[in-house]
Amino acid sequence: MAFKDLDPLLHSQLRLAVMSVLLSVESAEFTFLKEKTGSTAGNLSVQLDKLSEAGYISVEKTFKGKKPLTTCRITRKGIKAFEDYVSALKQYISK
Amino acid sequence: MDTESRQISPEESLHLIANMIRLAQGKMQRNAFYFLLWGWIIIACNVGMYLLMRFSYPYPWVIWAITIPAWIFTIVKASKKTSGDGTVTHMDRISMWLWIMFGVIIFTLMSFGSKINYQLGPVILLVGALPTFVSGIMIRFRPLIAGGLVFWISGIVSFLVSPEFQPLVGAAAIICGYLIPGYMLKNSKE
Repeated sequence: MAFKDLDPLLHSQLRLAVMSVLLSVESAEFTFLKEKTGSTAGNLSVQLDKLSEAGYISVEKTFKGKKPLTTCRITRKGIKAFEDYVSALKQYISK
Repeated sequence: MDTESRQISPEESLHLIANMIRLAQGKMQRNAFYFLLWGWIIIACNVGMYLLMRFSYPYPWVIWAITIPAWIFTIVKASKKTSGDGTVTHMDRISMWLWIMFGVIIFTLMSFGSKINYQLGPVILLVGALPTFVSGIMIRFRPLIAGGLVFWISGIVSFLVSPEFQPLVGAAAIICGYLIPGYMLKNSKE
């Protein structure tokens, strides 16, 4: 089994970090994700778009006063993809 | 953190997942505000009810109407402030619904007080033991767990004393089971 068998969308440091955080909370704001993953706003934003386009997360954009507020949640599809990714990882490691 | 270009090994992946999950869950909301707000309000109600009964006022329970603005305030404040740091954890959600259901049950009990011979004091203490105890377990805060037990014991005591002293038992239970843990929570550094 090669790396390519692992979901390429998840097999990336930042996207995997984001998915792991979202898996363990109900929802998380952009600033929280940025802080926990230690990424730049620009990079995080690009990766969130990719996850969102794949339907792995839902991104809700609102306003808190005048400040924009981006709230992310993992979707059912995202949870499934994550579980598949982890079982693929396990198989890979046990080899 | 690196961009996606860097190839990571499966071992690194697992390590990353475990780390991020721990980071995200580490911060449970430990909000003492509601415990203090409700602690003082319920004490005021209990003491007020005791005094009204002393002065032979025919409807001593009307004092509980002061909880209505407190409910509204709590709901508005809780819905505005989803979280302090930008997350809502599963525990936060469970905790919120636990207390909402508690409120619904209390309201139901008050509405049907006549059906249970107005033994509201002990029943409310016993019902209150549940969310207090479980909240203590969820935030891993022993004084609050002890508070839940205090409510349960006070519920039993309240059944045994004469009705006119029930509000005083209630007030004592709130001080020990709610206010003291509330202030300890507020002053805890964690």
